[in-house]
Amino acid sequence: MEYLSSGKILIVDLASSETREEELDEGLISKRIGGAGINNYLYNSYKDYDPIVLGAGILTGTLYPASDLSVLTARSPVTDNVCHCPVTLKAGIEFKYCGFDYLVVLGASAKPVFLWIHDGVADISDGSGVWGKDVWQTTDAWRRDMGDDLIQTLVIGKAGETGSDLAQVSVNYWGSGDVWGFASIFGKKRLKGIAMRGMGLLEIEDPEGFVEESMRLLESVKTGPWKGRSGLYDLLVSLGKNDVADWVAPLVHRNSASYNVPYAGNTFVYLDEDPSLLKEPQGAEPGLLLTSPYGLIAAKDMGLSAMDACRLIRSCLRYGIDPEMVALIASRDAKKRREDIESSMDSLERKGMKPWRPPFSPMVPRQPVFADFGVEGEPGQLEQWWLQRQALAYVFGIDPLFLIMSPELTAQSMIEAVRIGSGIEISEETLDGLVSEICGCN
Amino acid sequence: MGIRVDALKCTGCMACEMACGYHRDDAFALLSSCIVAYRTREKKDYFGVILKEEESLVIARPEGVEVRKIGAAGESGGDSSAKPMLLRESCDLCSGMDAGPMCVRFCPVDAIILE
Ligand code: SF4
Ligand code: SF4
Repeated sequence: MEYLSSGKILIVDLASSETREEELDEGLISKRIGGAGINNYLYNSYKDYDPIVLGAGILTGTLYPASDLSVLTARSPVTDNVCHCPVTLKAGIEFKYCGFDYLVVLGASAKPVFLWIHDGVADISDGSGVWGKDVWQTTDAWRRDMGDDLIQTLVIGKAGETGSDLAQVSVNYWGSGDVWGFASIFGKKRLKGIAMRGMGLLEIEDPEGFVEESMRLLESVKTGPWKGRSGLYDLLVSLGKNDVADWVAPLVHRNSASYNVPYAGNTFVYLDEDPSLLKEPQGAEPGLLLTSPYGLIAAKDMGLSAMDACRLIRSCLRYGIDPEMVALIASRDAKKRREDIESSMDSLERKGMKPWRPPFSPMVPRQPVFADFGVEGEPGQLEQWWLQRQALAYVFGIDPLFLIMSPELTAQSMIEAVRIGSGIEISEETLDGLVSEICGCN
Repeated sequence: MGIRVDALKCTGCMACEMACGYHRDDAFALLSSCIVAYRTREKKDYFGVILKEEESLVIARPEGVEVRKIGAAGESGGDSSAKPMLLRESCDLCSGMDAGPMCVRFCPVDAIILE
């Protein structure tokens, strides 16, 4: 595979400490496109070895709007289904520029390890120095030890190490869409995480054509109703959660975007500095980045102050546990004080809580946001619409939140971008079949 | 004429960096961009954009825009995002590109303008 790709699949066997590379065949892309499509194929090829698959979309890391996404695929210990976790922020594209489009991690290591993937090289490194450390300490340690603050990480905290099915894989320091206990699979493999840094280059078959088409799409996307809106505040308002938006607003510092995503969907709150500060803060850890509205909504429902809610979420992020589930379980168990919840994190249990069964993360609202997709009102139709939009995101490598805001980014525009960028023709039938398969409709 | 960045509008999305990389390499890559998102202080949420011009580094960050003459002491801004910039080519306003400055065209929130 010559274009929009490094053309390589990395296979890591933790049991034997061996790594090998396979060619990414163009034929596989024409049939299964990329992202969750190829992840599923790789998962099934190695399913006897308890694989974790990390894969980039065919458009990930390009100038196609919102092309930020890589996808982590595994069998959830919570649902026993194969599910796909979005990897956004800047980590999704860092993986694509590391020299591999896909990574398959097999088996379990006898001792703690982490994977260090950089510029086409993959090392299984000793993880004993970070085993037992929290998520923030671990990312800090890797960045410090490898001397590069731009290293991106997928990492677990103590919750994953001890096998909690509430554990969440974190992206650098922040929450991901993992609601399936993927972090506990890392823990069982004695895999503390994956550190990534890549300076790669993606060739384009028709560079001018691809960039012109991306520019044209961006121009049309920029006239959309998301324009002028930003962050979790406007997202919460669009979900009818004005009370939550206003409650957390006094703590909001700035909003930021994942790679090449027009909407700044992430919101940083300052807890230990003045949120209006417009210079570098003195303290090293003044707050946290909120990547989803749902932890906040659940924490407000518990009756916490916004400050306590954000402190609780910060503790969850450090411990590597799903903040929304922690808040929901605390409500179920009638726990009211943040300190009590924080001190009981290692004994929280899911029992009786309904797991999330669809294959894509519920961190993205299950309804159109800002834009009109013509699907409101019909519950079955809405669910189908959501699954299909998410499937497109997870296959092509487009931000799953932005795809529920931007009707301009159609399946046809993605097929066309792949054709111009790589020369590979994908038929609508192929795409429809793949979408049905990964939505679990087959 | 030159590129101006409004750091408070900037969302740190890196589209400008990739667009500039495309201008340099005719491919997608970040190694040669002369405009980069300044993003090494992630836990502090302190971010902006650095641009390499012929004789200076322009650092657009929340407190304002700072112009540092290349060759002056502390020219890297003390940030590892800035250090490799000194080895890169300077902004040429995308000379030869029909669409004009690519970073301006691809910034989704119009934080970059050509002045
Ligand atoms: S105008 Fe062109 S050369 Fe200058 S920073 Fe922007 S993209 Fe790079
Ligand atoms: S494209 Fe615009 S918003 Fe994105 S990093 Fe560059 S200046 Fe900031």
